[in-house]
Parts: sequence; C-alpha cells; structure tokens
Amino acid sequence: MIEVRELYHSFKIGKKGKEKEVPVLKGLNFAIQKGEIVSIVGRSGSGKSTLLHILAGFLTPDRGTIMVDGTMTTSFTESERAAFRLATYGFIFQNFQLMPGLTAFENVELPLKLSGVDRVSRKEKVKELLALVGLTDVQHHYPNELSGGQQQRVSIARALITDPPIIFADEPTGSLDSETEQDILLLIQSLNRARGITFVIITHDDTVAETANRIYRMHDGELKEGGVTHAI
Amino acid sequence: MQFNDQLDFVRQHIKKNKLRVFMTILAATMGTAFLIVLASVGFGIHDTMRKEILDNRVVNEIEVYSDQMDESMAEKLKKRDHVKAVVYRQSMNLDSKTALDGFTGSPPLIITDFKEEEKVGFALKEGRLPESSNEVVVGSHFAELLVKEGENPEEPVSYKEKLIGKQFTYQMGFYEEKELFPEETKFTIVGIAKEPAKDWLQDVNFYADATILPSLNQIYQAHNEDEESQLFYGNVKVYADKLENVTRVSTALKDEGFSVYSIADQLEQMDVFFLAFKAGLVFVGTIAILIASIGIFNTMTMAVTERTREIGVMKAIGASPKLIQRLFLMESAWIGILGTVIAVILSYGISFIANMVLPIIVSAALSEEDLGGVDVTFSIIPWQLVLIASAISITVAMISGWRPARKATKIDVIQALRQEL
Ligand SMILES: Nc1ncnc2c1ncn2[C@@H]1O[C@H](COP(=O)(O)OP(=O)(O)O)[C@@H](O)[C@H]1O
Ligand SMILES: [Mg+2]
Repeated sequence: MIEVRELYHSFKIGKKGKEKEVPVLKGLNFAIQKGEIVSIVGRSGSGKSTLLHILAGFLTPDRGTIMVDGTMTTSFTESERAAFRLATYGFIFQNFQLMPGLTAFENVELPLKLSGVDRVSRKEKVKELLALVGLTDVQHHYPNELSGGQQQRVSIARALITDPPIIFADEPTGSLDSETEQDILLLIQSLNRARGITFVIITHDDTVAETANRIYRMHDGELKEGGVTHAI
Repeated sequence: MQFNDQLDFVRQHIKKNKLRVFMTILAATMGTAFLIVLASVGFGIHDTMRKEILDNRVVNEIEVYSDQMDESMAEKLKKRDHVKAVVYRQSMNLDSKTALDGFTGSPPLIITDFKEEEKVGFALKEGRLPESSNEVVVGSHFAELLVKEGENPEEPVSYKEKLIGKQFTYQMGFYEEKELFPEETKFTIVGIAKEPAKDWLQDVNFYADATILPSLNQIYQAHNEDEESQLFYGNVKVYADKLENVTRVSTALKDEGFSVYSIADQLEQMDVFFLAFKAGLVFVGTIAILIASIGIFNTMTMAVTERTREIGVMKAIGASPKLIQRLFLMESAWIGILGTVIAVILSYGISFIANMVLPIIVSAALSEEDLGGVDVTFSIIPWQLVLIASAISITVAMISGWRPARKATKIDVIQALRQEL
C-alpha cells in the first residue's frame, strides 16, 4: 500500500549564513501493507513526526520516493497533494486539531463539505459515524465543551468520514489519561478490523505501540522493524 | 466544496467578528458613497446646463452665415442630404412705423418662407397663412407694440381689438433722418402666430412672404444714394432631419466655407468638458475608496493571522490552496459588495435631500429670487455612475483582499498545527 525508498531529510538550524544541517531521516526504506496497523515508535526528537509529515505531504523530503498504491506522491504539486489527502488520508492528532468555531457534528462534517458532498447525504453519514464513536448525545457541543477523550473521538470520526483507506495518527493518546487511552486504542483496533482501514500510529510509548500488528523503531535517523507483536 | 457551503463558511467567519467587519464595511460604504455623491454633482450640473441650452433652442438647428447668402443659395441648401428645412429669414436695417386705427409702433418685419417655417414648427393661433403679397401674419404679442396716448400721458394704452382682417400701414426711413419715407405700404393681417414655447419670450414681429420684396426695394432705392447698400440682410437656419445628423451636416457646410453655429456643436463641446470633469470627480472619489481599502487589507490580514491554525487544519484535511484563497477573497468581496450596496442606497438618499434642501438655501441666500427661473438639479445619480462606483469599489475590495488571501494559501501546515489552541 505504502512503499518508501531511500528517504532522506534534514533541517537547517541556526542563524542565516551560519546554518547547520541536521540530518533527521537517513535513507529510510520500508513498506506498509493494506489493512494493517503499523506503529512507529521512538524517543522524542527521533524524527517520527517528520516522517509522518513527509508521508502526508505536509513536507517535501530532500530525497527519496513514496509510492501509494502505485502513485508516486512525492512528485505531486501542492493542489494534487491536497486532493490526494482529501481522498486517501485521515488524520488523528495529539491535540485533536478541531475547529473551535464548529460543533462536534460540524467538525466531522467538514471533510465531506470539502469533497463537495451534498447536505442531505452529509447529515446521514455524520450521524452514523457519531453513533459509531458514541458521541450522539454531544454532537451539538463545541470542542471546548467536550472532554479530551470525546474530542479525540470527534477527530477520529472526522478522519473516518470520507472513508479513507489510510489513517495517520500522531501520538493519538498523548494528551489522554491511561483509561481513555485504552478506549481510543480499542476503537482504532475495532475500526481496523471492521473496515479494513490501514492505521499508521506514531508514538513514543511502547504500550501504545503494542496495539499494532507491526512495529517499526526509529533510532538515529533509521527505521528498523521490531517484529510482530501480540494482538490485544 | 459546493458554492453554498463556501458562502456558509464565509458567513460564519464574518459572524464571529461582527464589530470588526462592520467597521470595515462602514469605511467601504463611506468611501463609495463619497465617490457617488461627489460625481453626482458633476452629473447634476451637466444635466442642468444641458437643459438650459436645450430649453431655449431647437437642437437640430444650424445657423449658417455666408457673404453671398441669397434665396438661390438657400434653395441649394435645401437640396443637401439630411436637411429637413432651410429657413431663410430676411429683415431690414431701417427705421419703420406701423399704424393701425390710430395706434402706432415699430414692430419688425420679417420676410420668410412659410412653407419651410411650417416644417420646423411655425404654427398659427388664429387665421390663415398669407396668400398674396400684402397679407401678413403677426406675432402673438404684436398688438402690445402698437400704442396710443391714453388719459394718463405717462401710460400709453396698447391695441386691444381684433387683429384678423385689419389693415395697417407701414413706412420705412433712415434712422439718421427725422422724416420717414412718405410712401406707405398697406398690409392686411390674415393670421396670428402661436405663442413662443417659453412664456418669457414675446413675438412682436410680423411676417410676410418674399413676394413683397420688390415693392419695398423700389421704395428704398428711390431714397437711397449708396449703390452698395442693401435693404435686407438674411439669416439662414438649416435644420437637420435628425439630431445625430447635425454634426455631419454642419461639418460638411464648414468644409465648404460656410460659417456655422449649432447647439449640437456647443453641446458636444460641453459634453467633452463634463466628461473630463466627471472623470476627475470619480478619480477623487476613488482615492476615498482606496483609503477605505486599507481597512479591508487590515481586517483580512488580521483574519488570516487569527485563523492560522484553522487554515492549517483545513489544509491538512485536504482543502486546496485555491479553495482557501477563494474563501478569503469571498470574504473581502462580501465586505466590498455590502459596503457598495449600502453606499448606493445612502447616496440616493443624500442626493434626494440635497436636491430638496440646497435650492431652498441658495435662493434664501440670493434673497428670495428663485434662481432666475433656472431649474437647478444639484445631484443626479444615473445607473452608469452606480455601475462605475460599484465596479471600482468591489474591485478595490478584492484587490486589497488578494494579498491576505495569498498569505493564507502559503500557511505552512506543520507550523500552523504546532500553534497552541
Ligand atoms: N522545522 C524544523 N526546523 C528545524 N528542526 C526541526 C524542525 N522540525 C523538526 N526538527 C528537528 O527534527 C528532529 C525530529 O523532530 P520530530 O520529527 O518532531 O521528532 P519526534 O516526532 O520523533 O519527536 C528534532 O530534533 C527536531 O528538533
Ligand atoms: Mg512528534
């Protein structure tokens, strides 16, 4: 499904003229299969988010290619990337990234609006998904009226709404207590099983990483497969 | 994204910052209204002056001067293209005396061609047109010029009786000499001309046709020593068939060496002047709109900065840069459109009040007299002005919203998502 070859990226830091080049990704090669949950685990600052940003098309790598279902996403233009993201990817962020001015319902609805889906089909779909993540009762609340776990459910519903084959999650439970964390991880697993969605979970936490079918370890700019874990 | 969803989106954002958007719209409104009202004064004055000129004259009239003007030349003029009529009026440069039933006066005699006169609106109030050389038509105020000494020597009385069928005598003479020529010509009144269109105009002439010329000339030549001098001098007015053809006819005449003068030429010159004048006013008004546009630029820049994280989320989810740009452009366009609509309504109101109140103030300042019978319109807002002002205002609004909108599309997703809530 996703195939990454020879991926290099480095950041320039420091004052202009005296920049220092800091390599973050040093030639990554890996693949992610359809329908699996893959976690990328590593210490803070190891470059996990940078990798995800490149996969998602937020950032252009210095070198290397990414193929998604036979399409080379690394040579896309800005608008092509946007269109591809809308159709192919869902995102779950550590701090949820909900629109503060929109209700839970409207937040989930937003990607459908961007896709140009008409109002009636939109309502139907959003209701269905909100029920699935258990938020029907609070659908008209604004994000600041919801708990962290509820907000993350909203963002999961938003990620799912366009039926993307792949969902990227960057520290999805980083802002949640351990009990809520378990709920969210279970939800991810059940969605993976029920809908065959591929999840790429980024985390610094081994217990979270163990949710996955497969674990990659990020260390010193390189990625090593950590073997298949036992499913929960 | 569907268009109505885009509208929804813009509306929601405007609602969130009502006061700021309101102030920006207010500035846009003031700028646009200033432009419209300012330019409307140009339109008002132009219109007033046009009316003034047109009111007193026939528009398709061309006055033609030539040294060799005579009846045969007038005949030739009639045969030209686009000429409806040629009125060749002749008058005398002599003193005269007219006597009717003991009433006397010196109403001017005009020799003309009634057939041509009729084509351009000469009409009778009473009676008929002359059929023989001693018959005449008199002007509507002819009788007022015929007076007799009354009981009060200070106030002579004028002729009040019936005119049609009456005969009067006509004598000519040199201004320099005390006595008039002894020969009397008898004229019979057969018709009275209609009053002139303007009630302050008075027609005191009497009109005869050219068949009387030889006999009058004979009298004149009997007393005249100067071979060169002529009794009559002519005045030729050519009438174009349509207003659009006035310029064509008058240019052709000019090219052939005639001196011409027409209202249409004068109007054309005035129109050119006023076109420049109005353009100047619009230009000054545009400066006001440009000042207002600084406000729009500010508002939109702030809107983009405030929403950096939201824009980042939108982009992360898959909103294209084009869509982001469109949404912000729509927002500034909305400010421009709303500002313009309010400005147009406001301007019509101001214009209406100005036209009502200003004449009162001005005539009060000029001590009671109304403006000499002139119907002054201070401010007119034609639809063209509304169109021009709207185009300028909305274009300026969108241009000033363009940079902020570009800035929004350039927002880096990663940086934006890193922002704290
Ligand atoms: N925009 C940037 N400019 C410079 N350095 C950056 C930038 N983004 C990330 N880095 C650096 O790259 C490294 C990897 O960061 P990141 O991918 O966020 O790590 P992780 O997500 O694994 O914690 C860190 O050392 C970080 O300081
Ligand atoms: Mg990170």
